[in-house]
Formats: sequence, structure tokens, C-alpha cells
Amino acid sequence: MSRKLLEVNNLKTYFTTGEGTTKAVDDVSFSLNRGETIGIVGESGSGKSVTSLSIMRLIPDPPGKIVSGEILYYEKGKDKPVDLTQLSEREMRYYRGNEVAMIFQEPMTSLNPVFTCGNQVTEAIRLHQNVNAEEAKKETIDLFAKVQLPDPERVFNAYPHQLSGGQKQRVMIAMAMSCNPDILIADEPTTALDVTVQKTILELMNELRREIDASIIFITHDLGVIAEIADRVIVMYKGKIVEQGNVYDIFSNPQHPYTKGLLACRPPLDYRMHQLPVVSDFMDVEMKEDGSRIITEKAASIQEVIESVKIKPAETAQRHEDLYAKEPILKVRNLQTWFPSKRNFFGKPLDYVKAVDDVSFDVYPGETLGLVGESGCGKTTLGRTILRLQKAKGGEVIYNGQDILTLPQNDLKELRKDMQIIFQDPYSSLNPRMTIGNAIMEPMQVHKVLDNDKQRKERVVELLETVSLEARHFNRYPHEFSGGQRQRICVARALALNPRFIICDESVSALDVSVQAQVLNLLIELREKFDFTYIFISHDLSVVKFMSDRMIVMNQGKIEEMGKADEIYANPQKAYTEKLISAIPKGRVEDIKARVLV
Amino acid sequence: MLKGGIAIVLFLIVLVARKFDLIGALLLTGGLVAGLSFLRFAAQHPAFIAKRLGYGAIVILLVTLIILSIIYLAPVDPAQLTFGQNADAAMIEQKQKEIGLDKPLTTQFRLYLNDISPISIHENSDYNSNKYQFFKLIHFGKQVLVAKTPHLRESFQSGRKVSDMLAEAIPQTLILAATAMFFGILIGVVLGIIASLKQYSWFDNFAVIISTLGYSLPSYVTGIIIAIIFGYYLGPYTGLNIQGGLTDVDNFTGEKIFVWKNLILPAIALGIRPVALITQLTRSSMLDVLNEDYIRTARAKGLSFYAVIFKHALRNALNPVLTAASGWFASLLAGAFFVEKVFNFNGLGLLTINALVDYDLPVVLGSVLFAAFVFVIINILVDVFYAILDPRVAVP
Repeated sequence: MSRKLLEVNNLKTYFTTGEGTTKAVDDVSFSLNRGETIGIVGESGSGKSVTSLSIMRLIPDPPGKIVSGEILYYEKGKDKPVDLTQLSEREMRYYRGNEVAMIFQEPMTSLNPVFTCGNQVTEAIRLHQNVNAEEAKKETIDLFAKVQLPDPERVFNAYPHQLSGGQKQRVMIAMAMSCNPDILIADEPTTALDVTVQKTILELMNELRREIDASIIFITHDLGVIAEIADRVIVMYKGKIVEQGNVYDIFSNPQHPYTKGLLACRPPLDYRMHQLPVVSDFMDVEMKEDGSRIITEKAASIQEVIESVKIKPAETAQRHEDLYAKEPILKVRNLQTWFPSKRNFFGKPLDYVKAVDDVSFDVYPGETLGLVGESGCGKTTLGRTILRLQKAKGGEVIYNGQDILTLPQNDLKELRKDMQIIFQDPYSSLNPRMTIGNAIMEPMQVHKVLDNDKQRKERVVELLETVSLEARHFNRYPHEFSGGQRQRICVARALALNPRFIICDESVSALDVSVQAQVLNLLIELREKFDFTYIFISHDLSVVKFMSDRMIVMNQGKIEEMGKADEIYANPQKAYTEKLISAIPKGRVEDIKARVLV
Repeated sequence: MLKGGIAIVLFLIVLVARKFDLIGALLLTGGLVAGLSFLRFAAQHPAFIAKRLGYGAIVILLVTLIILSIIYLAPVDPAQLTFGQNADAAMIEQKQKEIGLDKPLTTQFRLYLNDISPISIHENSDYNSNKYQFFKLIHFGKQVLVAKTPHLRESFQSGRKVSDMLAEAIPQTLILAATAMFFGILIGVVLGIIASLKQYSWFDNFAVIISTLGYSLPSYVTGIIIAIIFGYYLGPYTGLNIQGGLTDVDNFTGEKIFVWKNLILPAIALGIRPVALITQLTRSSMLDVLNEDYIRTARAKGLSFYAVIFKHALRNALNPVLTAASGWFASLLAGAFFVEKVFNFNGLGLLTINALVDYDLPVVLGSVLFAAFVFVIINILVDVFYAILDPRVAVP
């Protein structure tokens, strides 16, 4: 019997808008065997999500359309495969959720907010199986137990907003598994989650795939995640497959320069680097007039590229000696930020959530202080409280000898010039109706930097060039830019006021690993050029370690551990820190070998 | 399932009790079910309800104060108006004393509040007992603390009790407003859904243009146009009157009768703008919701088109529609002034307009107070139903 389950042949999915046709998936062929997990990896825009949505026939039409190709599905007990592209909408509904199920990227928004989690799973069960409400409920609660949700009975009656992100993704997995599908498509299922939660979800999926007889198509931008779960890897670039093969081969002996770039751009854990390698270190892309691309290889060996940017430990030691000889630029003392969780009739708070609870630390001029912890640990609130974007309950924040928390409103404006923040979401932190040039110029106008708008415009162009954008981008709107470009615009906006102190709040968390590397490189470059002091906040210890001289590990509003980043990583003192370290997908070849051989 | 069963049993009981009056039983059951779910919510969140009621009381107090001040400052003497041109000074003074206009504003305000408050203090006399129909709670000296239905005083013009006049007008307005809103919500939501599903189609463009037009036309213009076309020119074919209220007195028997057909034209005239508003709101809200990730999840489950639209999308899209529709309904309940005037429909709006023309203060005060009361109650109800519809709305 053939082990083949799904065969995609010459699939082409195009998007046609007023501006022309985008070949989102351009002649893609691959196959999936029974019991196999394949990982599709690529940056956003590589066509990996569109491929999976094409299999589900969920491409929004218009503007998208499957132009040609076959998607052959070999159903159990039938000798001839069905071509999913040829089915009517009604016939397709039988396969959706039943034989081919899907888990989406955003657990926060993928569940309907007005129905209970139990209701949404039983709905899928009752749709495809001939069972009554009682049985469906029992089955759902069993499923919830299987995906290791705490207290399945309670989750059954809970609404999505009452669960955490990881729990919601478990509900989504339970829903996808509810009808014993043959194929489970997971589209970036862990990207929106904390590293620690990502680890538990990956473990769960690994367990489940041993237990059930399903094949998994796992889509991600992060090769590190692929290393933990896939048997075979497909690398996609701009709608085409550039390389595919066994996971061990891909990691130990990558062939395509793009694959090498993706492998090299993850922040390393064992050593320090001046800059992260990026995809363009490995290849040049030339667009031809007919829209096709010519890729030329620049560097053959990942190792060579990495060696060229490594920092020697002695250099780091020297840098730290210089840094910590100075007086701290910022002193935080016993800072508390509490949010009322319960109020009495007259609105007087009765109980608090202690988001930041008695935190003290120093920041030295020119250093980068990392702040790492899971979501809800208070790291973002801490950053916002330091800038007085959030009211503190008590404590002191002394910047250059002044207590920020008690500054009068007028002096605060002066301070805002000096301290800037770069937010997590490059998509929502730019006003969609303002050209990016004006967005960068606005803070300069507010703070009366430079004499007139002409000078300011010149300065904006200069800034755009600093963040590797061009002067012609001045009059464009945010939607015309990619996520990485937008985050660079946000950096340029923060730079407009010549700040000395920048807080980066999860500034790279929403970005692809390859784009993340570019933005991190930019931040490091700026630090060297302008002598910035950073507080760098992230849930990902590998990124924080790469960026920071010292780091603070936060848990439940308190400081768990504080010290030199390398020392904390090499020798963590607390179990919580160890948990954060072990959650990082390492992508080591030896680990993959061990896993695949089992 | 359980809730549905209770509603059906309730409906059957009411149907028997109402001697098989189908419409009455339906309305009553609907009211009962809504009331019960409201009570259940109120029992679960007493502080929430108490707080809203507290705010509501403050709103009504302020409204009373503002209206009384405006009336006091206006350069018109209601006492003189009652007698017309032939009044002499003594008669006017007598009348002023009678209706309390000679007292300072603060005293008038205090007395009026005392009259409308359900718990109040009065002199313990037979006259007062007769006037207020109160229930004595605590005696102290000559005064007595009483519980009573709010006393809205009597009309300057006719001498009838304002509460009686309101009680007569309110049902007409209520029926008119409910019909108009029912018509508005039904058509508006259906048009909005279709337009959102066929975005940029000819139907969508048509719906948007028509609703913009419908919204831009004031109701007195559409009212007059509709009355002339359907009540006058087409009157012989439609059999509808140009003007007329819901109740009339039968010319032969002298009994009060309902003239249901007089409801049709005013309800349409009044419903056009809500239709337009709700169409556009439903459309834009549906368009937002249809782009949400959970709609894609619902489709990935293999649900049919209709299940996705009506179960998953519509319920999420209806919240803004509910808010707008309820606010509109509340304002209609306060009286559809123009439309009632155009159609001479004997509801609250007509009563208020006539009272304003005659400077009949107690009637104006009474209807404004009733309007404020309606707004407060409907807002509380909307908050509650919002919380029931969308579990994310936090209830303290």
C-alpha cells in the first residue's frame, strides 16, 4: 500500500489586485506521507501560509485564486485520490475539519469571543460525526484532557478571553484533532506565544503525533522550531521551493544560500557577535524585467561568516570594565506599579495586581540592560513606568539626578526628548493615515527641534538613510512597508529627538527571525554610532542575551536574578531562569540527530 | 435549550391566561422572558444595577432642575396664558398662588421634587391623602413620611391629572416606536448583511446610496411625502388616512376603538432613518467581523456558509447595532415629535408639542421627566444586554 497521503503538484496561487498580479505560490510541488511531519519554512511573503490555505481551499477569493496545479488527497480505503482543487465548495466542506484540519497563528483571535471554548469544539464534532450533544461534550472534555488543559470541565464552560494564549492554542489543537483528521496543518502555531509556552506546545504536538495517526504540515519562519518537530523540511522563498530534504541533511549540510542565511541569523547562545549574519550575507538577488529572480551565492560556508563577526571574550571584558566605571545614568529604587483588580461601590480599589513589585536596579551610560521574563511578569509595565507612561504606586526613578516620578509636567516634556520607547507591534504603532515622513517629523515639531520644517525634512531624510530606507519613502504610507521596514521607521521616529536613552519593548518579537536579525543589527549599529543606552525587553532569552551586557530576569513583578548576561546564561541561579533557557529552540545538529534516530 | 423550553411553557401559560389573544401573549411572553433574564442578571450583579440606578436618579434630578430653571427664566407667565388677553391682575395673582408660581425657585424646586419622589414627606391631612393617594410609613408631628406613586400635578389648561394624560399617550407612542424600530431593525439588519456579503456589488452600492439618502431626509419631510402619496393620492386604493391617531371614539357606540391602520404610515415615516442607520452600521460591522481570524477558524471546521454568517459573524457584529438602535428607540419613546405632529397621531410627542405651545408647565415637565426616565432605564437595559451578549464586557 502506498504511504502517500497528500501530493501537491505544480500548484500556482496568484493574487490579483488593481496593482497587478502577485505570484504568492509559484509552481510548488511536494508530497506528504502517512505519519510524517514536514516543516515548511520561509519569511513572511514566501508563500508558505498561502500554500496551506490553498490545501484547505480557504484562499480569500477575490483577490486570491488557485490558478493551476493539483492537490491530490489519498483517502483511506479508496484507491483513487481526490483532487481538492476540483471540488465544489459543498464537497470541500466534508474534508475541512474532518480530514484536513488547521491550527492558526493567532490563538488570541482565532477563537470566537462570544461562544464558550467547549461550544466551539463540540460544534466541530457534531458537524462531522453522528453523535448527540451529551456524547460530543464528553468527547470534548476528553480532548481537553488529552491536550493537557488544566481542569477540562472548567475550560469547557470558559470563554476564550478567560484563558491564556497557550491555553487557547491548546483549545485550537483540540478542535483540530476533534474529528481525527488525516492531515493537521499548523500555520505558525507558536509564533505569537512566549518561548516557554512555545516549548510546551511543541512537546504536546510531538506527543500527539505519536499517539494519533495524523500527518502534520508545520509552517514557521523559525528553523529552530522546525528542528524540534519536523522529519522533512521544505524551504520556501518568494513563492518557490528552494530546497527540500530530510531535517538532518538540511541542518548539517544546507545547500541553498537562503537556507544558510536562515540558519545563521538566529542569535547564538554560546558566543558573542558584533553583528548577526543576515540572508543578504549569503546571497544577492537580482530582479529581472519579467519578474523572475536570479540568486547568486556570496558565501559558501556558514562557519566562515560567523567567525568573521565573533567577539573575543577579552573584548567584552574590556567593554564592561569601561562601562561600569561610570556613574549610573538611571537609578530605579523600590519601584511599585499596582493595578486595582477589585473596587468597592465608590470606585475605591480594594485589591491590586502587583505588576511591578519593589524593583530596584541601575543602568549605566552606554550599556544595554536586558529585561527578560514570560508575558505577565511585569517587564512591559516596568518599562512604561520608567517613562511615566504608567503611573507608579511608589518608589523612585532617578535619571541624571532627577526623580522622574515627581517631575512637573513641563520638565517631563524635556525628559521625553531624552528617553524614547520603541514598541512591539510595528503594525499598530504607526498611524495609517500619516505618511512616514510626517510621522517621523511630528515629534520634532512638538519638541521644537530645529528651526523650521525645511530643516526638519532634511533631518528626516537623513534619519531614513540611517535606518537603511531612502529619501523617496518620505511620502509613503505605513501599509506600503513590510513589518521589518515599519519597525525601522519606528526606530527612526525614536531617533528624531536625539535621545540618549531608548527602551525597546519587545521590539523584534513580532518579526520573522531573518528580519529580527536585521533590526537587531541596526540597534547595535546605532548604539555604537550614537552611544545610546538601551533597556531591551523581550520574552526570548536568546535575543536578550545577544543584545545585552547585563540582564534582569523578572517573574511575577519581582527581580528573580540580575547580572552579566553571559554569566546568567552559563550559570543560572534560579529554576525560573533555567526554564527560560531550556525553552529556547537551539536547532543543534546533534539534538536533531538524537531525535531523528529515536 | 433549557431557556427555549422555559419560554415556550411560559408562552402557553400566558396564551391560556390571555384567552388565546395571540399577539398579546407573544408580547407579554417576550417581556417576561427579557424581564426574567434581566432579573437573573440583577441578582448576580446587584452592585452594578444599584450603581446604574444611582446615576439614573442623579440624571433625573438634574433634568428637573434644568427644566424648572428654563421655565422660570422664560419671559412668559403661564398664569396669564390660562386666561388669555382678558385677564386682570387679581385673577392672575390668584392663579399664580394656586399653582405655586409666586414662591422662589428653590421652594418650587423642593416642592416639585417632593411631589415626584416615590418616598416623600407631606403634611398629614385628608386633603393630601386624597391628592397623593399615599401610603403612610412614619409619623413625626404634623408631617408624615409616605410612599406613593410620583405625583406629576395637574395640567394648567385642562385641569386633568398629568399622569392620566401621559398614561393615555404613552401606549400609542410605545406601539408606534416599537413598530418603527422593529421595521427598522428587521430590514436594516437584513440589508446590511446582504450588502456586506456582496461588498462593492451593485446591490451594495445601491444599499449605501439609498441609506445615505434615507438618513439625510428629515422625518417630517418623508412624513409629509408619505402622507400625501399614500394617504391622499393613493388613499382610495390603500384605504389609509392622511392623519389620525391610534385610538378613536366610535361615532355610534361612543366606545374607544383602535384604528390599527393609522399606525402604518407614521411607522414607515419614522422607521426610514433607523433602517438607513442600521443598514450602514450592520454592513460596516459585518465587514469588520468577516475579516476576523475566528471566521476563518469557523470555515476551517467545515461549517456551512449560513452557519458561519448567522452563528459566528452576526452575533459579534450586532453589538454596535444594538447600542445605536436602543438609543434611537429611547429617543422615539420620548415622543416622535415631528411625525406625530404631521400625522396628528395622539401620542406623547403630540401631547408635548401642544403643551409647549400652550405653556402648560406640568405637562411639559411630566413628559420631559418621562423621557429622562426612559433614557435611564433603556441605558441600564442596554448595559445589561451588552454584558449578556458579549462575555468579554466586564461587569464589576
